[in-house]
Amino acid sequence: MMNLFTWLEGSSMSVWVREAPTIWAFATIITLHTFGMGVLVGASSVINLRLLGFGRSIALGPLSTLYRVFWGGFWLNLVTGSVLFCADATSRGTQWLFFCKMAFVITGVFLTVRLRREVYGENAEPTAVSGTARQLALVSFAVWVLATTSGRLLAYVQ
Amino acid sequence: MLPNDVTHVHLLLNHVPTVGTMIGLGLFVMSFVRRSDHLRHISLEVLFLIALATLPAYVSGLAAQAQVTGRPDVSASAIVAHHDRAMMSFMLIDIVGFVAWLGLWQYRRLGRTASWVSPLILIMGVLTFVVVSNAATVGGEIRHPEIKLDESAITPGGMFAAKTVQEFVTTNPWVWPTAETLHFLGLSLLFGVLFAVNLRLMGGLRAIPFAALHRLLPWAMLGFAVNLVTGMLFTIAAADQYINNPPFHWKIALMMVAGANLLYLTVYDKLWELKSGEEAGLLDRAMAMSSVAVWIGVIYAGRMLPFLGNAF
Repeated sequence: MMNLFTWLEGSSMSVWVREAPTIWAFATIITLHTFGMGVLVGASSVINLRLLGFGRSIALGPLSTLYRVFWGGFWLNLVTGSVLFCADATSRGTQWLFFCKMAFVITGVFLTVRLRREVYGENAEPTAVSGTARQLALVSFAVWVLATTSGRLLAYVQ
Repeated sequence: MLPNDVTHVHLLLNHVPTVGTMIGLGLFVMSFVRRSDHLRHISLEVLFLIALATLPAYVSGLAAQAQVTGRPDVSASAIVAHHDRAMMSFMLIDIVGFVAWLGLWQYRRLGRTASWVSPLILIMGVLTFVVVSNAATVGGEIRHPEIKLDESAITPGGMFAAKTVQEFVTTNPWVWPTAETLHFLGLSLLFGVLFAVNLRLMGGLRAIPFAALHRLLPWAMLGFAVNLVTGMLFTIAAADQYINNPPFHWKIALMMVAGANLLYLTVYDKLWELKSGEEAGLLDRAMAMSSVAVWIGVIYAGRMLPFLGNAF
C-alpha cells in the first residue's frame, strides 16, 4: 500500500499540484474543493431542513432538483479530492482523521441516497414526510457536519 | 480623488456607524410617533445597511491602527481605547442589524414583527449609540490633540477589549481550528440556502412559489452570523494577515454587495409575489445570477487568502 502511496505522490501530476509556482495548482484545486463542499453540504442542508419541517410550504416534488446540485458538488469534490489525496498520499493515506472523513462522506452519500428513496421512492410528488425520513434527515445533517469538520481539521491534525 | 490606502478608507467610513445609528434609530422612533409601518420598514432597512457598512469601517480601522501606532505624534493609549470601544460598537451594531433583518423578514411573512423585536431594537439601539459615540469621541483623541479629553477618559475597554479577544484566540490552540470549522459550516448553510432561493429566480425550482423558499432565509442569515463572528475572531487576532491583503479587501467589498442582495431577497414585493410556475423578471434573474456570482467571489477570495495574500 505504502508503495502505491509513494508512487502516487511522486507522479508528475502530484508534483505539479504541490510545487508548481502558480495559483492554478494547489490553491485553485483546494478552492474548488471548498466550493464543491458548499454546494454539496448546502444542497443537502436545504433538503434536510425541509424534511425536518422548516418551510413546509415548499413542495417536495420540485425540491428534488437539488439532488442534481448535490451530485454536481459531489463529483467536483471526488475529482478535486482525489487529486489532493494523490499530492499528499503518504501522509493522508496514513492519517486516521482522513479515514474518519472518508467514512463520514461515504455514510453521508449512502444516507442521502437512502433518504431520497424513502421520500421519493413511491411518488415523485410526495406530500407527507414519514417519521423515518425525518430521522434520516437529522442523521444525514449530522453526518455532513462531521464530514465537514473532519475535513477542515485535516489542516491542523497530523 | 478616491482613497489610495486603507487608512484613508477608515477616515472616509468612520462616521458611518455613529451617524448611521443615529439616523436609523431616529427613523425608528419617528415611525412610532407617526404610527407609520412604512417608515418603520425603512428604518429597519437603514439599520441593516448600517450594520453592513460598519464591517469595512471596523476592518479599515485595524489597518489604520497598524499604520499609525508607534508614531510620536499620535496617542498609543487613545488608539487602544478607541479600538476597544469600536469593537464593542461593531458587535452591538451588528446585533441591531441582525434583529432589524429578522423584523423585516417577519414583516414580509406576517405583515408585522414579533412583539419582542421593537423593544429589543430600541434598547440595543440606545446602548449602541452610547457606545459608538464614545468610540468616536476617543477616536478623535488619536489625532486631534487640540480638543484633548481628560486623560482619565482614555482607558482600555476592560473585559471588552480587543486584547481579550486576541489572547483568547492566540493562547487557546483549539480556538482557531474550531472557528475555521464553524466558518466552513456557516459557509455551506449560507451558500446552500441562498443558492436554492436564487435558483428559483433563475428558473430552476420554478414550481415552488418564492414565498415558500423565503421561509428558509433565516438559515442563510444564521450562516452569515456564524461566519461574521468566526471571521472577526481571525481578523482581530491576526490583523496583520488581513489588513493589507488584497483578496481580503475584495472579500469585504463583495460581502457588502452580497449583503445588500440578501436584503433585496428579503423585502422586495415582486419576488414575494412569484407564484408556482411564474417566471421572475429579467432584472430579477440577473440579480439572482449576480448574487450567486458574488457569493462565489466571496468564497474564492476567502479561500485564496493564503495563496494570493499572506494569511494562513
